[in-house]
Amino acid sequence: MTASRQGAPGFSLSRLADVILPKLVLAPTVLACLVGFYVFIGWTAWLSFTESRMLPRYEWAGLVQYVELFGNDRWWGAMQNLGVFGGLFILVSLTLGLLMAVLLDQKIRFEGAIRTLYLYPMALSFIVTGTAWKWILNPGLGLEKLAHDWGFTGVTFDWIINPDFAIYTVVIAGVWQSSGFVMALFLAGLRGVDDSIIKAAQMDGASLPTIYTRIIIPSLRPVFLSAFMILAHIAVKSFDLVMALTGGGPGFATDLPSIFMYQHGFTRGQLGLGAASAMMMLFTACAVVMPLLYSELRRERRG
Amino acid sequence: MGALSIRNVKKSFGNTHILKGIDLEIEKGQFLILVGPSGCGKSTLLNMIAGLDDITSGEIAIGDRVVNKLSPKDRDIAMVFQSYALYPNMTVRKNIAFGLDIRKVPKPEQEEIIARVAKTLQIEHLLDRKPMQLSGGQRQRVAMGRALARNPTLFLFDEPLSNLDAKLRVEMRSEIKLLHQRLGTTIVYVTHDQIEAMTLGDRIAVMKDGEVRQFGSPQQIYDAPADLYVAGFIGSPSMNFIPVQLHEEDGHAVVELDNGRAVQKVRLSPISDSQRDFVGKQVVLGIRPEQLTDPESAHSERGNLQTLQATVAITEPTGPDTLVTVTFNGIKTVARCHPRAAGAPGQQVELTLDPTKALLFDPASEKRLA
Repeated sequence: MTASRQGAPGFSLSRLADVILPKLVLAPTVLACLVGFYVFIGWTAWLSFTESRMLPRYEWAGLVQYVELFGNDRWWGAMQNLGVFGGLFILVSLTLGLLMAVLLDQKIRFEGAIRTLYLYPMALSFIVTGTAWKWILNPGLGLEKLAHDWGFTGVTFDWIINPDFAIYTVVIAGVWQSSGFVMALFLAGLRGVDDSIIKAAQMDGASLPTIYTRIIIPSLRPVFLSAFMILAHIAVKSFDLVMALTGGGPGFATDLPSIFMYQHGFTRGQLGLGAASAMMMLFTACAVVMPLLYSELRRERRG
Repeated sequence: MGALSIRNVKKSFGNTHILKGIDLEIEKGQFLILVGPSGCGKSTLLNMIAGLDDITSGEIAIGDRVVNKLSPKDRDIAMVFQSYALYPNMTVRKNIAFGLDIRKVPKPEQEEIIARVAKTLQIEHLLDRKPMQLSGGQRQRVAMGRALARNPTLFLFDEPLSNLDAKLRVEMRSEIKLLHQRLGTTIVYVTHDQIEAMTLGDRIAVMKDGEVRQFGSPQQIYDAPADLYVAGFIGSPSMNFIPVQLHEEDGHAVVELDNGRAVQKVRLSPISDSQRDFVGKQVVLGIRPEQLTDPESAHSERGNLQTLQATVAITEPTGPDTLVTVTFNGIKTVARCHPRAAGAPGQQVELTLDPTKALLFDPASEKRLA
């Protein structure tokens, strides 16, 4: 490559191919990313400092929208729901995914089939998941009716219409969708563990549970981080699942920041307030992800 | 009773027989080598000694305990793996302490053992590092340290040097030997490298296709290989095999070697009874390259050296010696000569053969004719 460049200074076809073509090919993607991410983040940030209502207005209004947002009970309810949903969703998905991966790692029969089965939910859109679980959890239609039809008339399972429990149904649907994927991540990590490490630990006298808890799972640290990041961003941007499952109800019982943002920005004519809530979501995501990324990068650099 | 007894041990998967009845026995403090090509069952046998593989039939005893039914941790053994198998999430110190911790050895005693092991293997400065931060040789030391810490009755090594580069391998080899001499432990060591086998072992079991072809001391195996396979596997460059017709003259075995120009008679040792049965038939003459050499390098104190003429085909200098390829009976034959006496391709050279070291094999059964 260097030789051809030295041999043909100035314009030549090979130079064009070497230098310009890659840039040309990548340009649309880079442009789309720049506009799609950073321009719109900037625009949203700007709008959050204005008094825009139905339509954008660009006069600087300072922090009024943030002041209003922080005084808004529904916003804090949504944030609290996000905390409950996100925390439980991540924790249960990680635990369940790891457990399934460990069990599947025991050289069992039909592993391929089972693995695919557990991964299927990931192929569905959250809208489908939400709708399916709405029917399953509907007391007059789903599990409760099934139990009643079988003669267990004392059974009540009405979380989806109970404001105190509705948020947990979102957790159930979310975990159902994502734990298979987490399992696949962990399984890949487990398969990367050298077989002779397990043999060595056996000879050291460790039982299988000890081998997993003290050697294998601790060495999966990078997988935990990846899984956490993926689950965390699913939780924060979670919107379609809740819209399909409960629509944010009953009342505001399953309201999430994303729903708050959508409704204020696009249906209630409070664009400025919606933008401010969107910025707060961005900061929340950054606050979770940045320290993790930073600490991991620093570990790697220390070697 | 020996430190390790393997009695008629077999391993099969359905109709596939991996090990076809192995019998081995070593005394306390001996260094046993299991050597053979890949797929000969040597690692399977080691895993069975370790308890990582089931025994189909037969018996393995460590000391005077039959261990067939015991789990690995109850066999009082430690193993060093080819891939080192260090625990990646733990420091070197914790790697060494792990087995002690599981066995509930008190902390102060653990510290003492770690200090002793680290001193023995000179890894004191590495104790607080993670395996990721170590070189191959250092990992190898840590893996040995982990085995030493437990002070077992039997050490198992599974091709421990094959992941190291050539120079480091030679270094670690002599270190393992030194360690064995100093600690006097019983060791079973699996390798596919015949030089490792020769340099390290007190006893060598040469394996092929799930059978022990020969079991003996390195010198026995080198001087008196049981069959053509063992003769060719041990030694580098490997033994020359020349098809010859066997004759008898004055009670001596005599063979004829054709160098392409003339047929030369070679008088070997006094003929034995088993060799007499093959008189007039085709046999295989086995000569090691160093026993076929120029007259100057030959040990002249033995009076009955046989002189041969040959035409040089290729010369390969190795530094101390030059390997000279000549042809006898249409077979390429390697002689190890002094560089000065090596000649050049096309030249005639004079070679001497030590008849007491020449071996005869039955071409059909491949057994040596003793």
